[in-house]
Amino acid sequence: MKKNKLWLATLLGAQLAFNSLGADNADTNRNSDIEALKQQINALSQKVEALETQQAANQRTVTNAANDQIQALDQKVRVLARERELDQDAAAATAKAAPKLSVGSSGFIASSADSNFVFKLNGVLQVDSRTFFNDSAIKSNDGILLRRARPIFQGTLYRDFDFKFTPDFAPSSGPTIFDAYGNYRYEPWLQLRTGKFKTPEGLEQLQEDVNISFNERSLATDLVPNRDVGLQLWGDIDGGVLSYAAGIFNGVGDEQNSSNAAYENEVEFAGRVFTQPFKNSDITALQGLGFGVAGTSQNGTSNTKDLPSTTGGTSPGYTTDGQQQFFAYRTNAVASGEHWRLSPQAYYYYGPLSLLGEYAISDQGVRNTTTKANADLHNTAWEISGGWILTGENASFSGVTPLHPFDLHNGQWGAFQVVARYAELNIDDAAFPVFANPAYSASAAQAWSAGLNWYLNKNIRLNASFSHTTFTGGGTTTGSGATSAPGVVTRQPENVFFTRIQLAF
Amino acid sequence: MKTLLKILLVLAFAGAAHAKEIKLLNVSYDPTRELYTEYNTAFAKYWKGKTGDDITISQSHGGSGKQAQSVINGLEADVVTLALAYDIDAIAQQAKLLPADWQKRLSNDSTPYTSTIVFLVRKGNPKGIKDWDDLVKKNVTVVVPNPKTSGGARWAYLAAYAYALETFGHDDAQAKSFITKLYKNVPILDSGARGSTITFAQRGIGDVLLAWENEAHLAIKEFGADKFEIITPPLSILAEPPVAVVDKNVKRHGTTEVAKAYLDYLYSDEGQEIAAKNFYRPRNETIAAKYAANFTQLKLVTVDQEFGGWAKAQQTHFADGGTFDQIFQPQ
Repeated sequence: MKKNKLWLATLLGAQLAFNSLGADNADTNRNSDIEALKQQINALSQKVEALETQQAANQRTVTNAANDQIQALDQKVRVLARERELDQDAAAATAKAAPKLSVGSSGFIASSADSNFVFKLNGVLQVDSRTFFNDSAIKSNDGILLRRARPIFQGTLYRDFDFKFTPDFAPSSGPTIFDAYGNYRYEPWLQLRTGKFKTPEGLEQLQEDVNISFNERSLATDLVPNRDVGLQLWGDIDGGVLSYAAGIFNGVGDEQNSSNAAYENEVEFAGRVFTQPFKNSDITALQGLGFGVAGTSQNGTSNTKDLPSTTGGTSPGYTTDGQQQFFAYRTNAVASGEHWRLSPQAYYYYGPLSLLGEYAISDQGVRNTTTKANADLHNTAWEISGGWILTGENASFSGVTPLHPFDLHNGQWGAFQVVARYAELNIDDAAFPVFANPAYSASAAQAWSAGLNWYLNKNIRLNASFSHTTFTGGGTTTGSGATSAPGVVTRQPENVFFTRIQLAF
Repeated sequence: MKTLLKILLVLAFAGAAHAKEIKLLNVSYDPTRELYTEYNTAFAKYWKGKTGDDITISQSHGGSGKQAQSVINGLEADVVTLALAYDIDAIAQQAKLLPADWQKRLSNDSTPYTSTIVFLVRKGNPKGIKDWDDLVKKNVTVVVPNPKTSGGARWAYLAAYAYALETFGHDDAQAKSFITKLYKNVPILDSGARGSTITFAQRGIGDVLLAWENEAHLAIKEFGADKFEIITPPLSILAEPPVAVVDKNVKRHGTTEVAKAYLDYLYSDEGQEIAAKNFYRPRNETIAAKYAANFTQLKLVTVDQEFGGWAKAQQTHFADGGTFDQIFQPQ
């Protein structure tokens, strides 16, 4: 702007100078010219000032508009950013509310977002082989068999109601229901279960089938019930420091699996208390110590249902590790009177070491329907088994999880465990000869076993084991019972080599 | 041996006698976090002194409507302390978890404290916002949550609508036009009051936040008086956030007695003091007088007076296809 003024002044000066050089005019004319020029200069100055003001105003307007625009844009950006944030929150909330599906080593699991509804599909498949040695008297006992083929359907409804349904398609007699129960879980320490499930008695029996050390449970488990239909109040207090179970069942014979129904007046009471006193303590060496006691009691009626299982023979009796019957009741023997059991039990797990033991008493009232003789047979059994994991994993009642699952590409072999067991079963002498034939049935059996378990991963396990069982009594080579179990079984010690391929998920 | 067996069975049953720790779940709306954090501590102390029992009180917060729906869907609230009676009515009607006349069980219609809707503006009030009609000006951006999910938003909507009804001689068409203009100035709807506070105070969006009175005070407390100021309009709505025991849940949990005591204690002197300190208007007149400086006096209209009660207001304005759906267009 200063340049403009300078230019005008220069023009004016030039004009004045030019005039002064011209002809001499009158002073009056000169004065009027000067005045006119002054006016022109003023007018021009005003115009310049007006232009300058206008220009400044225009500039301000532009600046204000730009500021407004920037602010508006800033708000829009902020709104968009916030909307994105809210969308992300909403997406996260939606994902949180969506049902969850998972497929993995624990099976197929579908769950509602809040976990109030859960459905799990699991399964167990066990393919075994049994090879007997030095048993020339027994035909057709070697072979490969489908030991268990069980789909397991389990889950939760309305958060507190659990269910489990386990059929088994392996038995040659046709599909059999093993577990079928509902469970109301008020809290972990107070639960109510009803349906068909394991009677709370034998420690080895209560261990999951997929986690037992050998292909078959020991002689001690011959004296405890398997699954029965009933109602059980149970719970784990303080995360399992103390567990209890008390129930009413139909009542089944030793090692019997309920046929799903029983019509008799007397029920069986069963109870179990088990404690792991150091489970939550800092004494790591004792955290895996557990012990307890379990028992059942029933006033049985006169029938054979409450006698032991017929597995391995045709009459109720007890079986070896090789699932051959070494003791059988006479066909005219029935359960009669009271049947009670008692089973002190314990286990200890520490690092790779596992120890499990139990003592079982089965006090069975029996009657010979021909001679009308009655007796109270006090049968006992015990076992102790131990294991050591060679590859450093921790042993536990609920199985072994390999630290390095089998993967040849990476040089991983899984976990290896060596196991050993000794067990005995003693039949009350009063059983002979009225209720069992001493010529064929053994009055006692002693078995030791050793094996190697290979856990390829959490789901696949291979077993190989050898079991040797000796008998006291029985073994007569003549007579009608000499060609079938138990006579043919007790004639020589049982030597059996087992293998198993197990898939469990 | 039989005796041993009997002992074993008795021991097994004795396991069931294990004592249970008292737990309580209070499902509440968005801005009550601080109130109930302080109150729960006070109540636990009171309850321990009275009964010797320890109590653990859990809080759940969110938009009032969403919280009510969660309880209907199975969230096991022992007590609900929601933003408005309609939401508890919904629990009573849809899930039948408490009787329809629940509001009569405690004094003041089960509303131990009240509140209202105020304006939170940026320091210096650059847009010169003084009253509701300032919110419909073209250059004003308003932040408020979604009335479909937030109780506070429903109170704010009705406060603005009540202002329009009072201003335009209860001409509903003009009131509707007013509320339409107001929501044209709303660029974003959060699902709850706390979300809107974040939008306004932390994300720097908008010129004015329509907020619960306590939420506005907490924002100033948290973010500083040099950033925001509260403008109390001459007229607003009397917000009455009610409380109720959820009968079926407490019966199932065995917490009936403690849940009732928990709500009763809100009416105690200590409960009322805690409410006032957290900028809720206490019912107790003595305590209200003590904290009078915290609360600007203004004309407060009620839902019953202006809208014929919550059921009608909900149906007319917030139900699907209601006035709000008609007037609000997401930007």
